[in-house]
Amino acid sequence: MTDQITYPDVVQYAVPFFVAAVLAEMAWIVIKGRGGRYETRDALTSLILGAGNVASGILLGFIAWGFFMFLWALTPLNLGTSVWVVLLCFVLDDLRYYWVHRFGHRIRWVWASHVNHHSSQHYNLTTALRQTWTYTFTFMMVVRAPLILLGFHPAMVLFVGGLNLIYQFWIHTEAIGRMPRWVEAIMNTPSHHRVHHGRNARYLDANYAGVFIVWDKLFGTFVPELDEEKPDYGLVQNLGTFNPIRVVFHEWVGLFRDVFQSGLTLRQRFGYAFGPPGYSHDGSRDTSETIKAKHLARNPQDAGTPGFS
Amino acid sequence: MSLELLLVLVVGGISAIVLILHLLGRSKTLVMTEETARAGWLRQFPDSDIADVTLAHDGKAALIRTTDDAGLVWSFGADSVARVLHDYDLQDHSKTMRFLLHDFSAPSVTVHLNDTERQDWHSKLEAL
Repeated sequence: MTDQITYPDVVQYAVPFFVAAVLAEMAWIVIKGRGGRYETRDALTSLILGAGNVASGILLGFIAWGFFMFLWALTPLNLGTSVWVVLLCFVLDDLRYYWVHRFGHRIRWVWASHVNHHSSQHYNLTTALRQTWTYTFTFMMVVRAPLILLGFHPAMVLFVGGLNLIYQFWIHTEAIGRMPRWVEAIMNTPSHHRVHHGRNARYLDANYAGVFIVWDKLFGTFVPELDEEKPDYGLVQNLGTFNPIRVVFHEWVGLFRDVFQSGLTLRQRFGYAFGPPGYSHDGSRDTSETIKAKHLARNPQDAGTPGFS
Repeated sequence: MSLELLLVLVVGGISAIVLILHLLGRSKTLVMTEETARAGWLRQFPDSDIADVTLAHDGKAALIRTTDDAGLVWSFGADSVARVLHDYDLQDHSKTMRFLLHDFSAPSVTVHLNDTERQDWHSKLEAL
């Protein structure tokens, strides 16, 4: 079975577009006086994290690539490289993205990597570039295994994954309100993704989609953006540092401190590593479920409304 | 794309964006009032029952006392961050108080205080 197929590294080629789009969004905000906010150090941190993400891909990419090529050698299936196969691969990889992203919010081990994407209190195109450096260590590359075993070439799988990432760039903006109804119904849009970045109790653990919002509607995690409740961006407990190293590693540090504290059972240690973010053995912290429950206790009129049903 | 070209694009792009933002005045930090400090605290701790707010004269930080706890809310870029004061050390300098929070995600906060404020903050912190 051939392993000579190559596709361009589209994320690297998109870098000039990313820079130009950020400058265009900044100009739009300055000229129009609306459509988002920028802050110098926040943007710098986001951009450094984006650069670091590319660097970590260059340095650690061989691990995932080696794993994928191992699987490719195992599988007897080869779907070829036709346009239809690439399109199918794109759609199935987006389904893969949905689940990896959902795991990223529900399993602390994966959240430790993904959290830095949510660590800005701003929501602009630089936030899109605030990406993880530690994804390899989540081992979420295993979720791509079915695609390769089904006969999609690893190079194609990585290519469509790059396209998925590029698609998600433009939705990190407040400069676009709502897209036409049919787009909002099918595609992930700035409106849907603003919800995902909201730390409001209503918006926690919602809208995990990459490209197609239909996955959230299918799996029951879709919450629409409400005009009466603007997303409050950032983390449930926001960071007090712009230091990129601290931003990237803070949750890993917290996780290992929790796991290795004295006096815990094995089950409790497991809970700190693989339970939902906010798990604590003594109930002293809040998970998204308890945050929502406490919100409803304060605001019972919200029961049954989007995000609380 | 060659690694050299990628490096030039990334470094040049980041530098240009940051320089433009700074020149556009986007480096200013939030200045709080008592009300916005209170709102900043409640944004982080919505169940909290605030007893009093002591705002530093520059509006960049406030000491919050609640019915069960105390903490700091401080300006962080254009926004604010809040932490409960549980495990911390204090470094007193001539014009500032530096709180070492023993928190990897919020390591320290430097609060600018005049002499009167400093005495007030000290007495409130000692009473905790």
